[in-house]
Amino acid sequence: MTDKDALDALPGELLMWILIVSEVLVFGAGLIVFLSVRITDPEGFAEAQDMLDRTAAGINTIVLITSGFLAALANALRQGGARTKARFCLVAAALLGVVFLWIKGAEFASKAASGIVWDTHVFFNFYFMLTGFHAAHVAAGVVLLVLVAWRDHVDNIEDATAFWHMVDLIWVLLFPVIYLLQ
Amino acid sequence: MTHRSLYIAWALLVALSFGSTALSASGIWAQWPIVAGVAVMALAWQKARIILADYMGLQRAPRWRRGFDVCLTGLCLLMLALYAAPLVL
Repeated sequence: MTDKDALDALPGELLMWILIVSEVLVFGAGLIVFLSVRITDPEGFAEAQDMLDRTAAGINTIVLITSGFLAALANALRQGGARTKARFCLVAAALLGVVFLWIKGAEFASKAASGIVWDTHVFFNFYFMLTGFHAAHVAAGVVLLVLVAWRDHVDNIEDATAFWHMVDLIWVLLFPVIYLLQ
Repeated sequence: MTHRSLYIAWALLVALSFGSTALSASGIWAQWPIVAGVAVMALAWQKARIILADYMGLQRAPRWRRGFDVCLTGLCLLMLALYAAPLVL
């Protein structure tokens, strides 16, 4: 297999994959630093983590993977020529993205109401930074999904849904590290 | 990518997510935190592999899939080691 064949085997645009790998590396580095700092104060991190709403984060995981499923289905439907169904799936995926952001916003608001802010503990420094940065990607993904539901070229949908799956992929790594590892 | 394989991938992801959340609510963390940590990270690793293979289409590119699997496994093992460090040191 030549280098060109190897690159052709990759589904979608190479540039989108470079973006995906870069983003996963950035979040992966953030999680590694988070876990490294945790070594210096495991009790403090555990106490801070107990203030998080694990159920809401669990619901958000289901919301995001269901949204990812709809995006993947939209891609398959569009490639099969079913444009209207594909558009419907893209809009539904975007709406679930909005649900994710709404739950995340409620989580942030509840922290603020309890007096928990950025510098309450170093744990919350990472919590707000990593989940906030992820939420910004979700917001960008929602806009992309709506845009490609409108301008529904096969390539556009393939790239936008790949971005959306990256957001999904990052969340399934971020969720256990920030919320679950006790 | 068939629609059926996407439905199966979604069902598996939902089941694995319920598994993670159930583990977080169980009493296992007090007795065997490392076992619980390994279980939670193994579930996350499997979810990420499903997203890469089925949602992102790497199932159709086995060489790329293997490469991503190796990197993902390395990242998950490193995170697991950092999680376990304060428990074993």
